[in-house]
Amino acid sequence: MRFAAGVDVGSTQTKAAIVEQNAGPVAFAIVDTGASVTRAAENAFNVACREASLQPADVGFVVGTGYGRYKIAFGNAQMTEISCHARGAHALFPNTRTVIDMGGQDSKAISVDDNGHVLDFVMNDKCAAGTGRFLANAAEVLGLGLAEFGALSAKATHPVKITTVCTVFVESDILSYLALGKKPEDIVRGVHLAIAKRTVSLARRVPLEPSVTLTGGVSRNEGMVAALEEVLGVPLQVSPQAHFAGALGAALHALDRVDASFESGVWRTAV
Amino acid sequence: MVDWYQKLAESAETGTPPAASMMVSGACVELTQAFDVLPLYPEVNALQLAIRRQSLEPILAAEEFGYASDNCAYVKADIGAYFKGITPTGSPLPKPALVLCNFVGCNTYVKWFEHVSVIMEAPLYVLDVPFLRAGEPSADAIAYVVRQLKELVVKLEEITGKQLDMDKLREAVWCSSQVEEYWSKIKHLARRSPSPFDAYFDAITLMGPLYVHRATREGVAFFKQALEELELKAELDREAGVRERFRLVFEGPPPYPHFRAFRDMFAKWNACAVASTYSTVGGLWEFGARHDPDNPFESIALHMIEHNVTNRNMQQRNEQIKRYVEEWDADGVIIHFVKSCRLFSAGQGDMREYFSRTLGVPTLYVESDLADPRYFSTAQLQTRVDAYFEALEMHKSARTSAHVG
Repeated sequence: MRFAAGVDVGSTQTKAAIVEQNAGPVAFAIVDTGASVTRAAENAFNVACREASLQPADVGFVVGTGYGRYKIAFGNAQMTEISCHARGAHALFPNTRTVIDMGGQDSKAISVDDNGHVLDFVMNDKCAAGTGRFLANAAEVLGLGLAEFGALSAKATHPVKITTVCTVFVESDILSYLALGKKPEDIVRGVHLAIAKRTVSLARRVPLEPSVTLTGGVSRNEGMVAALEEVLGVPLQVSPQAHFAGALGAALHALDRVDASFESGVWRTAV
Repeated sequence: MVDWYQKLAESAETGTPPAASMMVSGACVELTQAFDVLPLYPEVNALQLAIRRQSLEPILAAEEFGYASDNCAYVKADIGAYFKGITPTGSPLPKPALVLCNFVGCNTYVKWFEHVSVIMEAPLYVLDVPFLRAGEPSADAIAYVVRQLKELVVKLEEITGKQLDMDKLREAVWCSSQVEEYWSKIKHLARRSPSPFDAYFDAITLMGPLYVHRATREGVAFFKQALEELELKAELDREAGVRERFRLVFEGPPPYPHFRAFRDMFAKWNACAVASTYSTVGGLWEFGARHDPDNPFESIALHMIEHNVTNRNMQQRNEQIKRYVEEWDADGVIIHFVKSCRLFSAGQGDMREYFSRTLGVPTLYVESDLADPRYFSTAQLQTRVDAYFEALEMHKSARTSAHVG
């Protein structure tokens, strides 16, 4: 057996994926990142190993990705989340030509070729506008959980116009609309549309060609998916594993590097 | 550069020789040299503060004084340093005898020099240089600048109490032409593989001497030696089999407050800049233009209008980069957008699309600032740079496979 793993250390959550040669993904795991990036990476990897009924030493190669990639003590190599999301999205949907990844603190658009290789990419600049953090802040102001926040969007009848995409100033926009007696669902929908417009505008800076695949933690927000589809004017491909696309891509890059001479424990010395 | 700062300190203490504040872009340093007037570049002071990690304090001082957070960080570093009594080397800088705004393509520069003139209580002369909107400058544009240069001669005669010595002016112009020849040859050494130097990060260390000593015999000797040393290094690198992994063209000034960190992001991938537009801010000579001692005024005017990158239009800048990519055999283009410089950075989004989409040249666009350290995010920039090289590596290997296949 040949196994490889990818660990994606994001700002909010850390994801791990294990893939088997000629068989595809065999396990996924997710833990909160918290204060220790190194520990979160270890935890996610160990949970994935247990899920796959493997010992850590059975995994031939580990690629770390995400903002904490250089802090993964047991990783054999590091790759950026851009290369990994491209590869992961291509594995989930081989017809992918554009990837929109919305994570906790950044959002990016990636143009990929028919092998899942990156052709071009753009990312948000040094600002959390248009990211998961923005949505989390907005949900908090409304006193909603993230799951509720996403679902509530569908009930909107007259979405409000949110004029800021600043994570800090959106709070005063929301409070103003609440003071005006606007319904929470209309405010939520307005927030989703504001972010969708910003994200699509970012994505248009790469050739925004179909098929478009959404990855990252925000892909679990159904309100965001609907708003993006409305602004884009095309359906999005969203996999149940979209949240793990970075880890999956990292695992597939790791699998490329699993040498034929692999023996248990050769590649990795400590977990 | 140490020598220049020493001379500026002497000027500050004794008033001799007098100094003139000038802009790097299209500087008419040949004319000031003919009068033994020292060039004093506020931009160089600002970047020297930034690369020494001393720019934030004066920037904050300028903001306290009322400059907006998105004003040019060079302006704020320079003006704030004056308020705080900070100089790059710690030695004093002279009060300029003349504030010469010799480049007006950036309207911020005009305001900057107006402020310098008021703060320093020094006379201001604004030399209006027509922007090069298309093709070559018209005869009228050249005559317009020449007439102003001759007005400037009168100002310099008043300040120094000397008459213009045409032989001395021709000598200064001749020195510039020689320096330009050597500098051009140095730039062309980077067409070799491996390039013996980095035409962005290393070129920056040669740009200061170019602005300060261009019109002097010392400048000629310096650049002659630099060329000889780099030719020797090129030969030694070739014999040693040194190879760069990626050859790049850079657009835009560097993030001076994080110069080393930014350089290391590219060095980690064994990438080498083979050309850069920033190194042509003070003069664009690798395509053949030179100062002409037989036509000193006209050639100074041409330099100011045409032969520096900042006074050229966007299409010409794109064409310049395209020539670098083709003739210097580059793998890709890096664009560094400067947050506090709207004028030079405007259009770089279109430039990115032109290279990446129209020409198919892998292009990376990153943002920070040239003097304000607060705009630099190491983790975000590192991710963009790493992702660019990961993609470039796949692009190169796919191209190689296709070629072999």
